[in-house]
Parts: sequence; structure tokens; C-alpha cells
Amino acid sequence: MKLPLSLKVFTEQDTIDLANDFSKILKPGDIVALNGQLGAGKTFFIKHLLKNFGIDYVNSPTFSIVNEYSGTFNINHFDFYRINRLEELYDIGFEEYLIRDNSLTLIEWADMIPEVLPKKRLEINFLVNDDFSRNITIRRIS
Amino acid sequence: MMNVLGIESSCDETSVAIISDDKLTANLISSQDFHVKYGGVVPELSSRAHLQIIVPLLKDALKQSALELKDIDVVCATAGPGLIGALLVGLTFGKSLAYSLQKPFIPVNHIEGHIYSGFLMEDKPEFPCLTLVVSGGHTLLLIVKSHDEIIRLGTTVDDAAGEAFDKVAKMIGLGYPGGPKIQKTAENGDPKSIAFPVANLKNHYDFSFSGLKTSVLRYIQQKYGPEKKIPESDLPDITASFQNAVIRALIHNAERALKEYDVKSVSLAGGVAANKVLRNALGELAAKYKKKYVVPDFVYCGDNAAMIAYRGYKIYQSGKRFNYDFNAFPGLLPGTFKVK
Repeated sequence: MKLPLSLKVFTEQDTIDLANDFSKILKPGDIVALNGQLGAGKTFFIKHLLKNFGIDYVNSPTFSIVNEYSGTFNINHFDFYRINRLEELYDIGFEEYLIRDNSLTLIEWADMIPEVLPKKRLEINFLVNDDFSRNITIRRIS
Repeated sequence: MMNVLGIESSCDETSVAIISDDKLTANLISSQDFHVKYGGVVPELSSRAHLQIIVPLLKDALKQSALELKDIDVVCATAGPGLIGALLVGLTFGKSLAYSLQKPFIPVNHIEGHIYSGFLMEDKPEFPCLTLVVSGGHTLLLIVKSHDEIIRLGTTVDDAAGEAFDKVAKMIGLGYPGGPKIQKTAENGDPKSIAFPVANLKNHYDFSFSGLKTSVLRYIQQKYGPEKKIPESDLPDITASFQNAVIRALIHNAERALKEYDVKSVSLAGGVAANKVLRNALGELAAKYKKKYVVPDFVYCGDNAAMIAYRGYKIYQSGKRFNYDFNAFPGLLPGTFKVK
């Protein structure tokens, strides 16, 4: 997979294929920020992405703020949807999750608290079109 | 006289409860009692909020129960699942208190606590009991065979039911909290007006609400365009149809379980158990299969320490004992439930 990438997806299978391809460039220590409106398919993408790392049950972390899974390596699955301000993230030990370099960190609704995101990261944006297809862009920020 | 202290701090709520000889004498919950008594500050999502309020809550709970700290015989606290920073406040507090009093400490699984909210009612569930736990973070269908055997039939494969309520409410501009707002708006709507789909899954007892959320989005986007300006008069039908789809999915799986398993009773628990349409629908299902139906009072549906104290008390009575260094577990402990 070459980055940056911009792709229009029409079916769930298109998204699954993209998630499978994307999994090949990920390694422990990476941080992936995912942005997009409600129902854009962020959790769906992560669910299929993580199947590549041996994780079958992926739930939305909206309520729990963070889900931890252990598969091929450890995964921190964050969701900033319910976070109101930066201090709340510090309070739950967000930074401690990031410095564990043997784990992969995925963050849904990352753009709700942009100031906390590390400078070096991967970013995926989901845009829902009027015909319900999605534009998905993936880029590396460093 | 046996006095059991329960502490809950797994997520947003801090709660302290006391059970004296099987009778609940105090059940204080931060969101309900905090504003009034402790200065009107809205507790934010934070471990600090738990820290600030846990001691005043304990003092009040003791006062309400006409007890002193030395009268406490067993200390129970939620050990997981939940947000680690939040869990640690109640758990560490509970362990330290138990150690200083030299009394047993019992760690409690939060979900088991919810299951036991039905047991806080005068008319208790009978084993085996089919239990549906529905909240913002969990959606589980379980068979509670005895005090120490729980079988998980199904769970959500993506969003929890309560989360779907909150997110759809936000999508259509109803705001937070989504559950009560959708229930209220849906009262004047026709639940059959829009055919939102119910997911069909490989494990027939599992749930999925993410697709439903997306289909609501698709519906409003197609009908009202990218601006998504929904006329207020359309909201009752949309909310009623959405609510109906969620409840249909829950009831469908519960009915499948009633056909396959011979249970004595049916119970409902978790924050979404406060939804009247769901309470009635599951009640009708239980009546159809001639099962006893137990649903907790509203105050015991959301997170509370009364259910933690009760569950902990049952574990204590079973003879199990734990060390004072018992750790928090943010996920579901493997082996907590047998998985069907």
C-alpha cells in the first residue's frame, strides 16, 4: 500500500479489502487516528482490520473510552466521542497507553481532541457521499 | 447483624451502598446525589470526580444506615469491566478500607452486578433465569443457572443498544441522553412506519446495532438531503421505528432462547432497562411463555452500588475469599461467563 491514498468505496467488501491491505503496513507502536461522521464506518473498518491480527470480537469503545485486545500484539482501541476536554484524557492515563511501544493504538473520533495526538501518526478520514459511497483517505503524518 | 458495603466506580457514576441483613439501607449515586449535596458541580468524566466524592458518599451511606465504619463486616467493590482509572478509585478504596478494618474484601464483576439488580426486588428471579443486560456499554443475553454459573448466549458484535440510542438521538438532533429523548419522542410515532432492518448474525444469539445506525443515517440523508434538516413532525415516526427495530432484535433473540432453554424466569437489567417499551415487550414475551418476569425499579437499572453489594454478599456467602491485592480488570475476565 502506497501512502497517501485516496479511494472511493461502494460496498462493505471494498472497505474490508482496504482494511486487509492497510493491516500489512501496520506494526506495534503505530498510532492511527480515524475521523468521520456517525455511521461513516470507522468501527466497521477497525473490526475488519483487527481480524488480520487474530482479534474476532471488536466492540465500539464509545462508552468504555478504550478497549484493549491482545492478538498478534496488543491493541488499544480508543474512542474520543464522549471526551469533552483534554484533561479527561490525561486523567484516564492516555499517555501511558501511547508509550507502550509493543502495542498498536487506534483512535476513533481523533479530531475531537486533536491537540493530544502525537505528531507522528497515520490518519484515516471517512467521508460519506450523497449516494452513500465513501471517500476514504489514508496518509502518514510526521 | 451482617453489614455489607458496596462500592461502584467503573465508569461515570460513583456509588456507595449498604445492605444490612439482606435489607438495603442506603444506595447513594453521584449523578443523583452529587449536585444537591456537594455543591452543584457536574462531575466530569474523570477518576478525580470519583476520588472527590467517594468519602462523602460513604459517610452519608453510614449515616443513613445508622452505622459506624467499624460495624461494616464485608467490603465489596467493582473490579471490572470498566475504565481502568475509574475502576481503580473504588477498588483501591474498598481494598484499603477492608484491610484497615481487617474484614473480608470481595471483588465484583460489574456485569454480574447488573444481573443481580433483579434480586434487589422483593419478588426475586428464580433459577434458571434468562437475563437480558442492556446498557450504554453492554448488550448481553445470559442464562443465570445458579449463583455461581452464568452462561453467555450472545453479545453485541459492534455497538451496544444504549449506544445506538445515544448516537441516533444525536444524528437526528435530539441530543443527550438519547434513551429517554427517543422514548419520549417515539410516543407519538408509528413504530411500523419505517422498516429499519434487524441484523441476522452467524451466532443467532448475538446482536448488531451498527448497521441499524447506518440505515437511519442513510434514511435521513436520502430523504432530507445532505443538510439533514428533519421537520419536527417526522421525528416521532423515525424514533418509534428505530426504537422498534432495537427492541425487535432484543426480543427476537430472547424468544429464541425461551424456545431452546427451559428457564423459570426472565429478567431485564442495565440502563436501557429503564425504557418502558422494552420493559413491556419483554414482559409480554415472558407472559406468553408463562415465565415469571422480574424487572428492577428504575433506580437499580443504571450503575449503582446496591447491586454490587448484593452480588458481593452472595459471593461472600458462597465461602470464596480474596486477597487484598486483587487487581482491576478493564475487560471481561476470561471465564467469568461460560460461553455457549
